[in-house]
Amino acid sequence: MSIGKNETMRVSQVMLPLDRFPVIDEREILKEALDAMGRSRLGIACIVDGANKLLGIITDGDVRRKLLKVQKPFSAFFVDDAIVHAIKSPITICPTDTLRHAVELMGEKQIWDLPVVNEKNELVGLLHLHPAVKALLGIDE
Amino acid sequence: MAEVIRRICERVEIPWIYKSCYDKDCRSSPDSFHGLGLDHGLRVLSDVRQEFGIPIVSDFSDPAWGSATGEVCDMVQVPAYLCRQTSILRAAAHTQRPIHLKKGQYMSPWNMKNSVRKIEANGNYQILLTDRGTFLGYNMLVNDMRCLPIMAETGYPVCFDATHSIQLPTSMGNVSGGQREFIPHLVRAAVACGVNALFMEVHDDPDHAMSDANTVLDIKFLEIILRQAKAVHELRLELLDKYGEDNVHREE
Repeated sequence: MSIGKNETMRVSQVMLPLDRFPVIDEREILKEALDAMGRSRLGIACIVDGANKLLGIITDGDVRRKLLKVQKPFSAFFVDDAIVHAIKSPITICPTDTLRHAVELMGEKQIWDLPVVNEKNELVGLLHLHPAVKALLGIDE
Repeated sequence: MAEVIRRICERVEIPWIYKSCYDKDCRSSPDSFHGLGLDHGLRVLSDVRQEFGIPIVSDFSDPAWGSATGEVCDMVQVPAYLCRQTSILRAAAHTQRPIHLKKGQYMSPWNMKNSVRKIEANGNYQILLTDRGTFLGYNMLVNDMRCLPIMAETGYPVCFDATHSIQLPTSMGNVSGGQREFIPHLVRAAVACGVNALFMEVHDDPDHAMSDANTVLDIKFLEIILRQAKAVHELRLELLDKYGEDNVHREE
């Protein structure tokens, strides 16, 4: 399928802004992260430090895997800092990268979300697969 | 008693902090001795501090007493029953003194992190976390030694309260009982598990102690218990030095 002019679209044109997905402080507990993920209806939360630098991400899949691995009671699991259970070196993308590259990367890595960071590793947005594919296909939101 | 304790601690070479309470607010009966009260009690504590040249700690049960307690004491203590009371934790933090925070008998060790965060939110980052036993049903405490490493995950030092841990809360109608015979066992277990401090209430005449008569340790046993504690502590450090820090089946 040809995607024509959308071939040149950039990540920054489609990414979700910071107030549209869960961005949590490094000292937030897991329960708060899960709540934030539920509210945004996204299966990911990005964890940042005080300077908004991306420290890690936690996804539905990470929590699912941890549930099978962690043997502590839920009440202890929930009060752990979310960062403890996060992926500390997540795959990220730059706002200036092409959307096509981002979508290919998501396909290759079997992931649905890409945190968008600038050259200083500051979190600037989140690219979610669904709107990214729609934009590539030229389907209006 | 401060003088006797000092001589024992000097012989055993263990640094120590003197603790007394000026208003015990969680007695089982309205007729139980409450203490000397804020002003008189703090004057006595201040005198002990001056006369013996030792740091002192006292607990306080009313947020309004925090400031005066912090002015006199080197460390302030938050009672276990009040360990999640935001107003008390805030008052303790505002003293700017190190805080001795006891885990409530009803609290899980991991939830003490919430209390720690309340203190940190008020600008105080000097906390000592203590286990004094956990309720097992009614009138019974047990010690789960996992409390110590779990509370240590907060990054703060941990302490074991050996005398309140053997308490049988309000087991005697309007007075708490206690099984003092288990103090040495629990001290050895806690120190082997890993603690930064021990807490013990001692008395030279337990039968006539005005508070906690069934749990205070007779001072005649203090030295032998401290010597054992020190030996176990040193052995633990030796083992860690030899085999490395505990790092078994840790989550990645």
